[in-house]
Amino acid sequence: MAQHILNAVALGSVYLVFALGMALAWSTIGILNFAHGATFMFSAFTAHVITQQVALPMPAVVLIAVAAGALIATLTQVLAFGPIMRRATEHRAAELRILIGGIGVAAIPLAIAERVTASAPFGFRGSTYQAQVFEVFGLRMTTTVLVIVVAGIGIGVGVWRWLATSRQGLALRAIGVDSETASLMGVDRATLALGTMATSGALAGLAGALLTFQLGAIAPASGDQLLIKAFAIVVLGGLGSMGGVIVGAFVLAGAETFVLAMNQGTWVDAVSFGLIFLVLLLRPQGLFGRKEVRRT
Amino acid sequence: MIDWYFSHIVLIQSTFTTLLLALSVQVPLRAGVFSFAGVGCYGIGGYLAAIGMVHYGLSTATAILLAAVAGGAVAYALGLLIQRLTGLYLAMATVAFTLIISVLVVNGGDLTGGASGLFGALGMLDTGHLLAVVVVVVAALTFTELGPLGRRIEAVREDPELASAMGIDVARYRRATFAVSGMLGGLSGSMTVLLRSTVTPDDINFHLVVLALTIIIVGGSRSWIGALIGTVIFVWMPEVLAFVGEWEDVVYGVLVAAAAVYLPGGVTGAAVDGYRKYRRKRREAAASPPDAPPPQQAAAAVGGDS
Repeated sequence: MAQHILNAVALGSVYLVFALGMALAWSTIGILNFAHGATFMFSAFTAHVITQQVALPMPAVVLIAVAAGALIATLTQVLAFGPIMRRATEHRAAELRILIGGIGVAAIPLAIAERVTASAPFGFRGSTYQAQVFEVFGLRMTTTVLVIVVAGIGIGVGVWRWLATSRQGLALRAIGVDSETASLMGVDRATLALGTMATSGALAGLAGALLTFQLGAIAPASGDQLLIKAFAIVVLGGLGSMGGVIVGAFVLAGAETFVLAMNQGTWVDAVSFGLIFLVLLLRPQGLFGRKEVRRT
Repeated sequence: MIDWYFSHIVLIQSTFTTLLLALSVQVPLRAGVFSFAGVGCYGIGGYLAAIGMVHYGLSTATAILLAAVAGGAVAYALGLLIQRLTGLYLAMATVAFTLIISVLVVNGGDLTGGASGLFGALGMLDTGHLLAVVVVVVAALTFTELGPLGRRIEAVREDPELASAMGIDVARYRRATFAVSGMLGGLSGSMTVLLRSTVTPDDINFHLVVLALTIIIVGGSRSWIGALIGTVIFVWMPEVLAFVGEWEDVVYGVLVAAAAVYLPGGVTGAAVDGYRKYRRKRREAAASPPDAPPPQQAAAAVGGDS
């Protein structure tokens, strides 16, 4: 039992880092980035390619993945989302086109990674990192799990507090509420959007590196699955609430681990889909979201 | 010509079935309902047709009819359930609905064949049948795009509040688009499965949702013509892009992203805009006498009514 809880916490921490990146961009600058999953996958893939050439320690691998993620997301913003937002006249049309733009962008890294790996899973076998196994209170722990949980919870709480208390966080939340008024108050929307996307991409890269260390290998197509799970997490927590994302990530991971522990492996995916559906049906604003005041 | 037809018959047939799938997303989108329920009904229809043929020995026509009716009914019920959602939330709820169906059929036991799916559901279908179905569907949709009905649907999309102030029952229109989209999805799914003779849970995936959406966005979402153009582009692109070989998916991604940035109304939207611009230029050229003010001023004067 306790072992299952530990597994759920580790899984939840990875979900958290990934979903946090998505929620950050979505709830502030209004970009639901469908290339987030591909960013996650391609960051890990970049680190994989480099570790094949040079034997690197774990922190270096993680740093490479984080940098790659930030770079991919920045490029996505500069080449696709930025131009769409500049050209669009109304928010609803822009929303749809950002969705499509993200889908298009996501196809590119996926195709490259699938071509290079022939769709086979890839890992960091070239890295010098060896997981140490140790026992705490009769639980089997690895250093990887420890790193993941500390990083996940630390970053989760860090982003949440930063957004709630810092000046930039205030500016970002202001954009999320009313971008026009925010820019009248002197908020530089384009620069903040770029910074937010870079941060969001860095979080995707971090999640990619952590999950690959944890599982040993990930498949190129795993990004899409994670994207829908992240959506479930954000919807459950409530859009705009970073604390909600933290709760949502661990609830989803707990529910999935529970279904797995009950030996109902084929139903695992239904947890996130069912959660999206139920939450939207019963409480569309999520557990901690504020009720949106929007005309029509 | 006949040689060409027989060597491309799979592509030709999938053009028709994919068009129906794309229309199942385009019809709600035209009324401002961002729903992918049609894709889920594609899965329902496909499985129902296969189950009907394999387990109950239904005829091809009965199986397809059953799939279309069941798709419409399920989508209508779904529409009732989630009618208060809008925008991206509605989209994701219907995506979740679609993906739940694929999980359900994995766990369906002998009835759905589990993870390996169902085999041997070969229907008696040929290209003529497909063409007939598509022509009927397109004719019906054309009817909804013209005249007062077309204008009412446009009003529901552009400004639901205004529409209901004008006495249009917006909720009823939205529910109707769910039913139509479910029927189209059921038709497309059942015919695809009966042509291929197999159906597996992997056939109902996120990629299918993405395909339907990209077809409409690239082609244009205002009319079935856009869906047709998009379908032709995406079904035939692998054939045309054979020269780029393994990089086909990269080209696909670049095209979709470029369309999202530069073609807000899709190919048809760009064509309509281009035609209007051309007409306006000609009218100006005809209207302005030789010593008229320079064209920029004339354009500014006319620009008000564009």
